[in-house]
Amino acid sequence: MKRPPTSLAVRLTVSIGAVIILVLLSFGWMVERSINHHFIQQDIDELNAVRQALEHTLALLPNDNHPEAIRTTFANVIVGHYNAQYRISTSTGTVLYATSGSDLEKFAKATPPVMQINSDTVSIWKDNGRTFRGVVLQITTNNPAITNNFTLAIATEINFHLHYLESFQHYLRMITVIACLVAILATWLVVYQGHAPIRRISHEIEKINSEQLHIRLKAEAVPAELTELAKSFNKMLDRLEGVFKRLSDFSGDIAHELRTPITNLRTQTEVALSQARSSGQYQEILYSNLEEYNRMAKMISDMLFLAQADNKLLKPELVSIDFQAEVQTLFDYFEVLAEERGVNLELTGEHASVTGDRLMLRRALSNLLSNAIRYTPHGKTITVRLIKNTATDSLKIYVQNPGAVIPEKHLPYLFERFYRTDSSRQRAGEGAGLGLAITKSIIEAHGGSIAVSSNEEMTSFEISLPINAAPGTAQSNGSDI
Amino acid sequence: MKLLVVEDEVKTGDYLRQGLAEAGFIVDLARTGLDGHHLALTGSYDLIILDVMLPDVNGWRIIRALRDAKPSTPVLFLTARDSIEDRVKGLELGADDYLVKPFAFAEFLARVRTLLRRGSAPAQNDQLQVANLTLDLPRRRAQRDNQRINLTNKEFALLELLVRRQGEVLPRSLIASQVWDMNFDSDTNVIDVAIRRLRAKIDDNYEPKLIHTVRGMGYMLDVDEAEPVPEQ
Repeated sequence: MKRPPTSLAVRLTVSIGAVIILVLLSFGWMVERSINHHFIQQDIDELNAVRQALEHTLALLPNDNHPEAIRTTFANVIVGHYNAQYRISTSTGTVLYATSGSDLEKFAKATPPVMQINSDTVSIWKDNGRTFRGVVLQITTNNPAITNNFTLAIATEINFHLHYLESFQHYLRMITVIACLVAILATWLVVYQGHAPIRRISHEIEKINSEQLHIRLKAEAVPAELTELAKSFNKMLDRLEGVFKRLSDFSGDIAHELRTPITNLRTQTEVALSQARSSGQYQEILYSNLEEYNRMAKMISDMLFLAQADNKLLKPELVSIDFQAEVQTLFDYFEVLAEERGVNLELTGEHASVTGDRLMLRRALSNLLSNAIRYTPHGKTITVRLIKNTATDSLKIYVQNPGAVIPEKHLPYLFERFYRTDSSRQRAGEGAGLGLAITKSIIEAHGGSIAVSSNEEMTSFEISLPINAAPGTAQSNGSDI
Repeated sequence: MKLLVVEDEVKTGDYLRQGLAEAGFIVDLARTGLDGHHLALTGSYDLIILDVMLPDVNGWRIIRALRDAKPSTPVLFLTARDSIEDRVKGLELGADDYLVKPFAFAEFLARVRTLLRRGSAPAQNDQLQVANLTLDLPRRRAQRDNQRINLTNKEFALLELLVRRQGEVLPRSLIASQVWDMNFDSDTNVIDVAIRRLRAKIDDNYEPKLIHTVRGMGYMLDVDEAEPVPEQ
């Protein structure tokens, strides 16, 4: 199972916290290092000072001095250097002088002598719980009175420095930990605060239910990052509101359309039963009911068809259709009706094959033709025009008829269910106003489109049908969500 | 002719049985899928009418079992789901025809008769005759009272259909489908106009009247002038 993504606040807090900890740690490390470095340099200076004093003393040391006097002279060398100690011996191992306290002899023996004192040559030495930084030097003197080569071990006690460093480190760590905690807490607060607009939007969205689909998020009242989200959410609401409205209009229409025949049936039956009648009369009533039932059944099956189209369940069975022959078949069917009304049927245009569902397309065109026959004045001609468009690989089918102009305001709604241009014109034996809606959904299930225009000259329905309706295109169309 | 109707809806089952019985068939009605399954496999029927949406034994299962046991018995299935899937599935399983509920009884009866006729080879006469109406099929000519009547191709096809199925009520949708190959319910009154014109040619000036309108159901050609509703 896939885990849900980690919360944004946690992610931000963890990453920002990690960066802060890293920065503080490296800062602390650098401070510590530079202080340590500073102490080493201080020790080296101390050691150098002692060395110079000693070299000076050695250079001036008289040859025949009294040992006591020599001792005093050597002891004086480190006056003022409280922490310093040294031991000086000749190359033969005779100790000229050693300060009391620490045993520098072991140190002198264990450490290789060097010429210079610097941070590379000094070393740490522990003795009796005390820590020293020291160095063993090979020095020469040009005093002719004494031997030329000496081994000099100098050390300075650094316990104080170490102690200081230790407590500094301790404080530094405590400060780092506290700073990290404060920083992480602050980050989390900021992130949480930063998400406040999201919570606000979500709160607003929560208030939207089916009765309040008109509510829109204020895109200008959210941070820039969320504007896009708010806008797309608003667009989704637009679409939902549209579909919802159509849906509720549709159910309203259904209720209305079914109410009339049911009222008729009920009244008729009640009246019929109110007194005894002859069997002929009963028969008459049953016939009349039957007609009403048929009309209702037809409407229900039409609405089922449209509901399937809405749910993208219309799956055209694709075969190759010769459209000229198809229109001719329809003309054959409508011939008697057209003759009866004194209307001519004419087919022009080129031969064109289209892949599509024969039954559905026939039904779609039949609705347009029966419509056209209904509204064409006596003696006029209905024209079906087929025009192939090789550029877009589509076939244009025009069904055109002269007749009364359909007012501009009705045109956009002509394909809507139950829409009637003339609201007073009730069912005059014709369909329930679903024909054009069915035509439209069939054409759209084929990945095509349909439009209508109307002027003094003619009313023209224009279908654009892809010549090769791939099964996929039939699924991916439609204006719904 | 003995038919089996498998239908769980009480009212629908009753009316189908009554309607078929009054049309002259012997009808067994099974109200559950289990009964239907049993009767279909053990009984001997000329046609089985099956609602595929049964609560217990699925209608498809009955068709499948029946096809294994008795491949020649025609099956007409009824479905309320107006979907291609059902249609295709039923026909693939070996059913012979289907009807989508709600259907008109006249349409139902016409389909039943078509299926029953399918088994027996149609009499290939060159001539069809009803009363004093004669159809010359090879030459596509019609005569009434030995007078030749000029009919268009479609008018002749329409008349031939009515004559061949004399005494049966033919719903408009069936006429549209058989004569013009329009296999959907049309809102138009094309069939009414076509019948009116045909009547004007073959009936108006002759006796007896042959083409009858059955209100709310369709048209019928018969010699009997009485109201044709309770047909035998």
